[in-house]
Amino acid sequence: MLAALAVCLLIALLIGSVVGPFPLPIGDVIAAVFGATTAEPTNTILFQIRLPRVLAAMLVGGGLAAAGATYQTLFRNPLVSPDILGVSAGAGFGAVLGILLSLPVLAIQGLGFVMGLVTVAVVYALARALHSQNEVLVLVLAGIVVGALAGAGISLVKILADPYNQLPAITFWLLGSLAGIKPIDVAGFAPLVILGLVPLALLRWRVGVLSLGDDEARALGVNVVVVRGIVIAAATLITASAVSVSGVIGWIGLMIPHMARLLVGPRYDRVLPASALMGAAFLVLIDALARTVARIEIPLGLLTALIGAPVFVWLLARSRRVWS
Amino acid sequence: MLEARDLSIGYDRRVVASGIEVAVKRGEILCLLGPNGAGKTTLFKTLLGLIPAMAGEVHLNGQPLATLSRAEIARAMAYVPQAQHLEFAYTVLDVVLMGRTAHLGPFAGPRPADRERAHAALASLGIDDLASADVNRISGGQRQLCLIARALAQDAPLLVMDEPTASLDLGNRLLVLDRVRTLRESGYGIVFSTHDPDQARELSNHVAVIADGRLAAYGSPDETLTAATLSAVYGVSVAIERTESGRHVVVSANNTRPSTQ
Amino acid sequence: MRTTRRGALILLGAGVVASGARAQDRTVVDSAGRTITLPPRITKVFVAGPPASVLTYALARDAMVGWVRAPSPAEKEFLAPPARDLPEAGRLTGRGDTASLERVVGLKPDLILDFGSVSETYRSLADRVQSQTNIPYVLIDGRFDATVASIRLAADILGRKERGEALAQYAVTTLALVDRVVGKVPQDKRPQVYLARGPEGLETGGRGSINTEIIERVGAVNVAEGLNGRGGIFAASLEQILKWNPDTIITLDRGFHAAVQSKAGWSDVRAVAQKRVYLSPGLPWGWIDAPPSVNRLIGLRWLLAQFYPAEAGIDLPADTRAFYDLFYGVTLSDAQVARLLGGAPAR
Repeated sequence: MLAALAVCLLIALLIGSVVGPFPLPIGDVIAAVFGATTAEPTNTILFQIRLPRVLAAMLVGGGLAAAGATYQTLFRNPLVSPDILGVSAGAGFGAVLGILLSLPVLAIQGLGFVMGLVTVAVVYALARALHSQNEVLVLVLAGIVVGALAGAGISLVKILADPYNQLPAITFWLLGSLAGIKPIDVAGFAPLVILGLVPLALLRWRVGVLSLGDDEARALGVNVVVVRGIVIAAATLITASAVSVSGVIGWIGLMIPHMARLLVGPRYDRVLPASALMGAAFLVLIDALARTVARIEIPLGLLTALIGAPVFVWLLARSRRVWS
Repeated sequence: MLEARDLSIGYDRRVVASGIEVAVKRGEILCLLGPNGAGKTTLFKTLLGLIPAMAGEVHLNGQPLATLSRAEIARAMAYVPQAQHLEFAYTVLDVVLMGRTAHLGPFAGPRPADRERAHAALASLGIDDLASADVNRISGGQRQLCLIARALAQDAPLLVMDEPTASLDLGNRLLVLDRVRTLRESGYGIVFSTHDPDQARELSNHVAVIADGRLAAYGSPDETLTAATLSAVYGVSVAIERTESGRHVVVSANNTRPSTQ
Repeated sequence: MRTTRRGALILLGAGVVASGARAQDRTVVDSAGRTITLPPRITKVFVAGPPASVLTYALARDAMVGWVRAPSPAEKEFLAPPARDLPEAGRLTGRGDTASLERVVGLKPDLILDFGSVSETYRSLADRVQSQTNIPYVLIDGRFDATVASIRLAADILGRKERGEALAQYAVTTLALVDRVVGKVPQDKRPQVYLARGPEGLETGGRGSINTEIIERVGAVNVAEGLNGRGGIFAASLEQILKWNPDTIITLDRGFHAAVQSKAGWSDVRAVAQKRVYLSPGLPWGWIDAPPSVNRLIGLRWLLAQFYPAEAGIDLPADTRAFYDLFYGVTLSDAQVARLLGGAPAR
């Protein structure tokens, strides 16, 4: 099954490389990727604009789906999405603060990334400090509280921002989009996503055991606090780096793990790779759609919601017995 | 061998019960009894090392529990929780395989040998045919057996069972009790909590009764499950009757009537 | 220009595509101090945002390749063909853009022009897009104080020096007129103005914000203190407006203008009682802001005529006709002028 999904991803990557508002012959694309010399503007469009987007879509989609599958397992709740601990709101606040301070783009992305991590660190520290018997519940509630604070911060920045130069940048920044991705962005965030995926892959079995609840997992020999801490750090790293380059793209982290569970069952060690592959293929295709359906770019979050909402309802109707 | 030495249990700095001294060896069953809220669950969690002791120590095979890692504890002692609904539709085999976790490297998943061990555990309880069934779609008794199979797959000589018959119907209850008895005979040491003194009398080598923040009684079933003790602990007047087959049953002292057996 | 690429891996580290400079190329320095190499003749310009589209339309509409947002029929009436019929090409801000970079490259513009902020954010955005697309990206300072210099710089960059000089002269003359008229009016005779936006008139621009820049430029006091020059539009309450008690209201909303006399509570506001509520014209672009570009120059004259009719002595219909002819290349009929000055309705 995983092999079939990997083939699907390869096909999606090929489609993503070939489809775009500027028509490039498939032969030229393949030749160029394998090192052949191509003429302008093919070169610029392919290597500076389109392939960075395709790669970024693959990493963001795969990363968000993997993070979503992880949090759903960790929090034993199939309705959880990767920004449950406030990472998106925190990263968004960092980025809009960067825009308000008129920082360069890379610094804005960096501030978004750092604030995403800081937000989750605050949530985690808060939950630990409260010493609750039910740490999972306190984590989620702390995430809601801190996320709401970051949301208020975003609103404040919007009020303070210059309406013609900063406000549009802020608005667009908060929309999910891969339209402005540069090769250097991909080079910057790809290692971070991979760095986050590695511990999840290594701890795949233990994360699955955590879905039984803290007491049972500990009685089965899992050091719950350590594993959960590592896993939250890894999933946060993935989500924060994705959000800092692509903005908030909803639905993928929620919907894809459900589809993966339909295909490979609920075991996390299978859901993780399946979600990553499916999320990657899905976002590559959605992004290809985003740049071709209209004369102008369509925000990704809009397309994922348009497609995600009905698919999710269908999944709910179909798979109710899978998890309820 | 699991041993509580002058143990005080509780949580959030509040002591629920103290002065608890109990022990269980391989081939023995220790039954825990006590009214609701007396601290049975707290004692369970303390014995399993899930919450720290307020005072005193729990020793597992002669070593203080606090000095052992989770995996070391898990290889010596398995926990059989009350069967609950799971959020994810794992198969019975998936659940039993999770019992192998303490034997796997930190970054490893189950190997073929672990699958064989899981199937063997299921087979020993006579439910190998359920291996690929959805764990949320089998009967309560089957689910409880599945959790026992998980504990067996854990290859730990001690089993700690939290009211394994609590929510089961008559047929399932008898099935589970029968298996528990077989496990003792094959050498497992078992800690078992129940609300049913008759069950405790029938099954256990030792009975511990927790009430009023202390160990109210500890010893053989005949020493502990007396009408006087039970009346005092549960706050109702009870009598113990002997049936024609020679069994003892606990009945209300206010409503004594001849057995219909 | 041909470049060889080996494998997709290079892509990760790829920097600037080497650009083959030609002998006739010239270098210019934009408002952000960036040195840019341009071809000798600019025949295709991609506008990055709304202010740039107004400036470019005024200076070199023959070179435009598209609009940020396609003009509506009502706006088209006040724009000249063929530029007014160009398609929508989207907005370029570096993130969440509506403009497709692939399409931008496909259009092969000689230049991408942005008119507005020259902060570090926009400077780095310009650098990114330039290195990514290999298309020169020019930033022009959009502050109102810099209008004259910015028109000249943009004209120079676009190779439209003569036209730029004509527009710059218009700006110089207009600003001189403003200074002369305002100088004649003592401080205490200048109006206390409230900018009413939205159908209820309860949105306004704070003092020092880009939205009210030209109202303040003509010596009026913006009664909405705002956030010390930060921010833009914010919500005001009628209670607050009664406390500010402006003697003049400028509104951009036709419905509000028509209804304000009968709106509950408003009749106690000095400007409403004295019937000094003025509806700003708004086609093809706003006269007060929206977008903040050279379209505001005619707004200055209009404000002078409303605030200081005696001192200014402005023939507003003639001035309007002249501005639309010079900047937008359209000759207005009397009916069109009347409709504009009556706050031309959106159709």
